[in-house]
Amino acid sequence: MTTPILHIEHLQKNFGKFQALKDVTFDVYPGEVFGFIGPNGAGKSTTIRTLLGILKASAGSATIFGQDVFKDAVSIHKRIAYVPGDVYLWPNLSGGEIIDLFLKLSGDKHSDKTDQLIKRFQLDPTKKARTYSKGNRQKVALIAAFSTEADFYIFDEPTSGLDPLNEEYFQKSVAELKKQGKAVLLSSHILSEVEKMCDRIGIIRDGQIVETGTLAEMRHLTRTVITFKTMDDTPELASLNGVHNVEDQPNGRQTFSVDTEQMPEVIDYLAQRQIVELQSTPPTLEDLFMRYYDTSEENIAEGK
Amino acid sequence: MLSNNFTKTAFLTRFSLRKNWLKLTIWAVAMAGLFTAIAAKFTSIYSNQAAIDSVMETLKSPAMTALFGKMPSGVSTSADIFAAEMTVFMAIMAVVMNYSIVIKNLRGEEETGITEIIRAHAVGKLSLLGATMIEAIILNLGIGLLYSLGLSVANLSGTDLNGNFLLGLGLGFAGLMFSSIAALMSQIVDNARSSTILSYLVFGIMYIARMTTDISDPKQTWWVPFGWVEKFSTYKNNDWTPVLLMIIFTIIAFALAFFINSKRDVNAGLIATRPGKKQASVFLNGTFSLFLKLHKTSIIVWTIGLLILGFTYGSIFSDIGDIIKTNPALEQMLGKSAIHSANVAIIKQFISMLMIIFAVLSLIPGIQTIHDLKTSENKGYLEMVHAKPVGRSKLYLNAITVATITTLLVLAATLYGLYLGGVYSMKDPLPLKTFAKAYAAYISPTLIMLGLTAAIIGTAPKLSILNYLYLTAALIIQYFGKLLKLPDWPEKLTPFGYIAQVPVKTADPETIIWQLAIAVILFGIGYIGYTRRDLK
Repeated sequence: MTTPILHIEHLQKNFGKFQALKDVTFDVYPGEVFGFIGPNGAGKSTTIRTLLGILKASAGSATIFGQDVFKDAVSIHKRIAYVPGDVYLWPNLSGGEIIDLFLKLSGDKHSDKTDQLIKRFQLDPTKKARTYSKGNRQKVALIAAFSTEADFYIFDEPTSGLDPLNEEYFQKSVAELKKQGKAVLLSSHILSEVEKMCDRIGIIRDGQIVETGTLAEMRHLTRTVITFKTMDDTPELASLNGVHNVEDQPNGRQTFSVDTEQMPEVIDYLAQRQIVELQSTPPTLEDLFMRYYDTSEENIAEGK
Repeated sequence: MLSNNFTKTAFLTRFSLRKNWLKLTIWAVAMAGLFTAIAAKFTSIYSNQAAIDSVMETLKSPAMTALFGKMPSGVSTSADIFAAEMTVFMAIMAVVMNYSIVIKNLRGEEETGITEIIRAHAVGKLSLLGATMIEAIILNLGIGLLYSLGLSVANLSGTDLNGNFLLGLGLGFAGLMFSSIAALMSQIVDNARSSTILSYLVFGIMYIARMTTDISDPKQTWWVPFGWVEKFSTYKNNDWTPVLLMIIFTIIAFALAFFINSKRDVNAGLIATRPGKKQASVFLNGTFSLFLKLHKTSIIVWTIGLLILGFTYGSIFSDIGDIIKTNPALEQMLGKSAIHSANVAIIKQFISMLMIIFAVLSLIPGIQTIHDLKTSENKGYLEMVHAKPVGRSKLYLNAITVATITTLLVLAATLYGLYLGGVYSMKDPLPLKTFAKAYAAYISPTLIMLGLTAAIIGTAPKLSILNYLYLTAALIIQYFGKLLKLPDWPEKLTPFGYIAQVPVKTADPETIIWQLAIAVILFGIGYIGYTRRDLK
């Protein structure tokens, strides 16, 4: 396997007594888009800001291009581009000035690509930043990032203020980066976006990475929803191993969700009851997500 | 309709008072405490007629008039002196307080988007401005009452109840008047920075007008709203007319502010923000030029403003340095050259008093620039810069360099203005060398103040308010030290106390060297702190 661009191992960050990051471990490789998801306050931005050397890790290690993120920040930053979730810009500078400034700070120049991006995202660069909306401020940061020559791109919820058209431009631009073999770390709440764009995904909860892998791998870890109709009654279904949320539906159908690893036994059981109808829905990222977000308390109660 | 415009004003006032209570309490306690403490001090130092007569002579001089305000004729008690000497200074403090609170409340909240959220509720269009106005009334009149009570407690000889209330409430209403100016300016331009600059511009013009009319023709001072505080004639005629004028002024200014507020959109002003450049100029190519650009307006405004202030002070040198005018007999007794050197000595004494004011004023934009590291960190402006190959050490060094340049430039401009004013007004003006010497002596203490600011921003940015408190303390100690007959030690608490007599005396090189060493150490502490700590 190639060497990772980003390598994080048991990263921890405390703010006073509060443990914002307890144990964060993951890698990002060249040519891949890594989706970084988790509920609000889980530690996504703290992780990213530690990677940028803005925060100093309390324990563990993080390297980008094999260099320490805090000590070698300046040399790392020559080859990265970053778009924060909340973009705040100097109110009395124009968008065009800020884009150019960011480019110059990275050692790049305003290029044809910059002009294309300004056109693509339909930004008026002459306006002072104080008059920009959230979406327009995000565009300024995105244009600067996409026209920066970097090897590693970090996006922290970059599309939260963009309209659908611009969101699509964003996805297109990321796809171009991927084609060029760049690495991308994308933190996002928009799951359809992550599902569409990301090769691998890491889920963070309460300062801990709880899951990493491809979407396909993760599907194995979670439940499939099955809707079915059988000739015979299925009274034992609810008590089977790995079966959850059995519900009656109209027309004599029933639905339940099943852990992927228990699937064969459950299907066998249903087959013996003469299946009339059977429909299985693979878990979407959203289901996956909900399992970690919403049901965290339930899972704890179940001892999971 | 009208009542709709003010829906929930009372609620928002309570909310704002609760939100600002700490700030308001600190201001009120500090101002009333200072006022009362100085009054009490006056009671003990000017307890006999001889002491009063001797200080009176000094205070009547044009130099003192320029600094403290016009001393009315027929002054005979310590209360008279107090009333005459304290009003201008306390009014300036009130201006600073009101500007900062009102502009933060109005433009500051609008910039952060809070106004928008509040206005989305069942709240009147003018309720926020109304709430700020009520808050300003409560604050200023509250402080005014505290002054009045403080005067009664301090028990100066020569006070009376009517005078106590006139002086206290008069100062309160003066503060309120300036809150109305800030409220009005906040409607005209669409951001806090410009509102602040504009408001101080109004105040600066009034201050200079007040100073020049005080020296040339005190009757003209009636035309200057800031000069009204000098017209109470406290403890003599107890004239409430200026208070009435202030109230009228305040009502008009607030009415205008309400009118504009009702017409304008949220986040807009009368004057709209102009569009900027499509691309960055070649000069904007790094963090140093970025800081310069961000502070450009401030540097220009301060440089020109203080050049003018310096010139104004310099232009009264001829009045100050004319001992013959006050004592014609001297011409007989002393030779012409002796008189000239006596005049020069008086002017130098005056300059040595001005120096602390100039130093403090030129430190304000410098300290602001260093504080801006913290502000832009908190506001998130630096977030993306931190992700660039720009080390924190570079950011820090850029910021303190711009700050140092700003302060030293502004101080130089002030002294040059002072020199030009002297050239303009005097037959035989002081040479530029005198001013250059004073300037050279003030470099090391100003650097200590900037170093301290940098050290605090680098290590404990939450304590940044201490920088302004220390600066204010230095000003008060140096400015009032003589008048209050303070012992020597408070002066030694600030770096200015060690070079106080410049240009009457020359600063000794040893002092300069150890002061520079301290400044370097402080900058170093800030550097270590800033490069190691978590950023927001």
